[in-house]
Amino acid sequence: MKAALFIPCYVDAMYPEVGVGVVRTLRNLGVDIVYPEGQTCCGQPAFNSGFFEESRSVAKHFMDVFEKEREKEGFDYIVCPSGSCATMASHYYPFIFKDLPDERERSEELGHKVREFSDFLVNVLGVGDVGAKMSGKAVFHTGCHQRRELGILNEPRELLESVGGLELLEWENEELCCGFGGTFSVKMPEVSTAMADEKIDALEKSGADTLVSCDSSCLMHLAGRMKRRQTGTRVMHLAEVLDPGNPVNGKVG
Amino acid sequence: MTTNKPALKRDTVDHRKEGVESKVEGFNDRARKAVKDRELHDSVSLFVNKTLTGRQANLAALPEAPELREKAYHIKQKTMANLDTYLDQMADAVESRGGNVHFASTGEDVVRYIGELAKRRGSKVLAKSKSMATEEIELNRHLEEDYADLALDIVETDLGEWIAQLAGDHPSHIVGPILHMNKKRIADVLSETAGEELPPDVKALAGFARQRLREKFLSADIGISGANFGVAESGTICMVTNEGNGRLVTSVPPVHVVVMGIEKLVPKFEDLSVFTQLLARNGTGQKLTVYTNFITGPRGEGELDGAEEFHLILMDNGRSKLLGTEFEEALYCIRCGSCLNVCPVYRQTGGHAYGSTYSGPIGAVITPLLKGDKEAKDLPHASSLCAACTETCPVGIPLHELLLKLRNRQVDEGLAGKAQEMVFKGFEKTMTSPKLLNISTKAGRVAQKPMTKNGSLRPMPGPLSGWTDTRDLPPLAEKSFREMWREGI
Amino acid sequence: MSNRTEFLDSIRHRTQAGRYKPTKAPDSAWTRTPERPFATPPIEDPTARFLEELEALGGHGKRVEDMDEAREHILALAKEREAKLLVRWDVDELEELSADEPLSEAGTEVAIWRDLEDFRDVAAKADIGLSTAEWAIAETGSLVLEGGVGKGRTVTLLPPTYIAVVPVDRLLRTTTEAFGKYGGGNLPANLCFHTGPSRSGDIEMSLAIGVHGPGDVHVLLVG
Ligand code: SF4
Repeated sequence: MKAALFIPCYVDAMYPEVGVGVVRTLRNLGVDIVYPEGQTCCGQPAFNSGFFEESRSVAKHFMDVFEKEREKEGFDYIVCPSGSCATMASHYYPFIFKDLPDERERSEELGHKVREFSDFLVNVLGVGDVGAKMSGKAVFHTGCHQRRELGILNEPRELLESVGGLELLEWENEELCCGFGGTFSVKMPEVSTAMADEKIDALEKSGADTLVSCDSSCLMHLAGRMKRRQTGTRVMHLAEVLDPGNPVNGKVG
Repeated sequence: MTTNKPALKRDTVDHRKEGVESKVEGFNDRARKAVKDRELHDSVSLFVNKTLTGRQANLAALPEAPELREKAYHIKQKTMANLDTYLDQMADAVESRGGNVHFASTGEDVVRYIGELAKRRGSKVLAKSKSMATEEIELNRHLEEDYADLALDIVETDLGEWIAQLAGDHPSHIVGPILHMNKKRIADVLSETAGEELPPDVKALAGFARQRLREKFLSADIGISGANFGVAESGTICMVTNEGNGRLVTSVPPVHVVVMGIEKLVPKFEDLSVFTQLLARNGTGQKLTVYTNFITGPRGEGELDGAEEFHLILMDNGRSKLLGTEFEEALYCIRCGSCLNVCPVYRQTGGHAYGSTYSGPIGAVITPLLKGDKEAKDLPHASSLCAACTETCPVGIPLHELLLKLRNRQVDEGLAGKAQEMVFKGFEKTMTSPKLLNISTKAGRVAQKPMTKNGSLRPMPGPLSGWTDTRDLPPLAEKSFREMWREGI
Repeated sequence: MSNRTEFLDSIRHRTQAGRYKPTKAPDSAWTRTPERPFATPPIEDPTARFLEELEALGGHGKRVEDMDEAREHILALAKEREAKLLVRWDVDELEELSADEPLSEAGTEVAIWRDLEDFRDVAAKADIGLSTAEWAIAETGSLVLEGGVGKGRTVTLLPPTYIAVVPVDRLLRTTTEAFGKYGGGNLPANLCFHTGPSRSGDIEMSLAIGVHGPGDVHVLLVG
């Protein structure tokens, strides 16, 4: 099994440990990994703001890079530790290329290969337990793209439930958005923050000491707010929890 | 009744005077205030949580829910593709049953038609049942202004709408018009109308409303209603109400006028089996609305009640320009309010922040489509694109995708502003060149040094202040993943 | 004001232009998953289900043997409500009930829905409205009321107490079945699916019963 890594731009620059976690987890399971170095971003920020033209350029770059890598290395899947960016590349490329038949076809072809990290583990590799250990009580936040576009709800839970020493808790209104929403968080900061506050209130009520998600963007938002509110909750990406080389190194919010 | 309006210190009221256009802008300003209003937040949560619980239980009990949804979508799709034919059929059917049909291109047409009708008949009391279409065109205000000499007494008869009318307030939710008002406030409003102190007790307040509105029903000259659905094959109007005011408005006064948006059509009566169930289960969490009422023309020969005169006004008011476009799906809406209930933005702000007749996701979609992008610039951005609306919509409208398309349309129209244009040109440039991205990351790392404290960036000026005012922002990592990869993991 | 031809032409013109083909009707919460089993058993005992649904809505339902038992029930109810005036539909079923005389003997005047000077006087003053129903729906606890000669709409609407006497063989299982009865769109001037007492949740989501229509609803299934 050979997988190409797609590390979203902000994970690359701000949360490299997430990418490292993905690499170590997958290698541990015998997956051969390639990382096309020409990759940048999926184009989502422009897309979400309505700048479709600009996002198309970035999407084309993405497709160029991964197609070239595929010719060279022949990977089976593109694995991405973000439900949101995986959605962009798999669901929204065909959407923005609706009127460009060539690109649309390319995007559909490539889109089928893009798998979110937990989806890849459980549904492609068939692994629901990587043998990780970590103590604590965690709640899991499903990013909205992962939840509603990809429909990946149970996979991360399955993985977390089999982490030795970790208790997975329920929390109120789990399905509510965290309020990040890309540029929304800056364009409408008060509403965005109020949304985060409702999540954090629920988190505090749940009694969890750890917040886990498959999207570092949601985590950046919630952790940023928690830090301001001085909520001492550990915040971790799923890849960090599963990482065989770095089991308890989450950032404390 | 309508002259008896206590002044209300909500900013929605001033906007009303300024006219429709100005009030839609400024979502952000109103939202900013609304999120601080904890009382409002409690009221909204109470409503949406209760409704959603009912909805979930109900949908779970409906085995064919997913199929019904698909069916609904396809019925609407077919209707819109042949709307002219169905409208024609509807008009023929109504006329053959002895009703009158009027085609109104604009809200003004509607106002004029009803105003002239009232003049001709010497009508005084107009009893209305809750109708979003007439809210949309501000029928009451325009009738009062344009036909001031008739001194019309226009009474809303839905309990919530009536209280809103007495308070000089606007509905803040399609289904729960006054969910933003608490019991105490409602008691104040009704006490003023009663001329005596009424206790903040639901039974007492509802009892007072029943008695007061009963008088209006019995003396009304014209009943005005909207329509939840219209059936082309039979000319039937379907209206649902829980209180029974809809059935009263259409049964007691001698004249019944229906104001119906042209998109409310379905081809066949049996199609309503799908829609009435979806509406009740999603909108209010019921299996069926208490009064699911079907009216076909005026009362029949030998009948003692029901309107003698029946008028159907088919209103366009901007709807037809969506036909055949990528926004057509917005016309499939059955106004169930479910997308409002699940929307995390609506949950924080309530409906008034939207400043438009329709709030929540569907409001953010339909308002700019009907009124123009310039008039409702903020609304397509009042969403985190979480897609909860799309997920819940019983007729399968891809609401969040329509919001995205609207954002895109603003960009194409040059409404996004120079600053944003520059930002995303820069984004495009950087993100299509790994080299440039590398340089920017490195430059950022240097630049952030003096601004970092305790593992977070200091509060930033400019657009980033939107983030840093309320949330910490982590700095760029010392080493990017790319660099780590090169060094070997 | 725009006329019909012009109006329809402009619409025709638009529906033919472009014809946007939507890419997908999205789906996820609506999809069946193991945790969300949609399968419900078919309604086996429609009578029981009808009564159960109606009770859940705050209405009162009862299965009675025959018209005699129904009449007794109505007499008792009229007494309990201290009804001065009852207004009823002018239909065969209620003739068969023969409750008029015993009611007036017991002090409840009966008005029949025919030859009324102004229906408002009667319907709005009555304490009880009495009708039958074309159909009843077990799934939802609904009555299907057809308007027509002798079958006033306001009889079922204005009095605070409403009683319906419905032969049990008119009980349908589902809403879909009920809609099917009117397939082809051959409808009376008024048709109403009436489901439980009038209600409103407009005030703080607290249930208010009998806001405009009757809050006191009784259905007697006969046979
Ligand atoms: S858009 Fe859909 S969910 Fe929202 S009100 Fe309309 S029908 Fe209901």
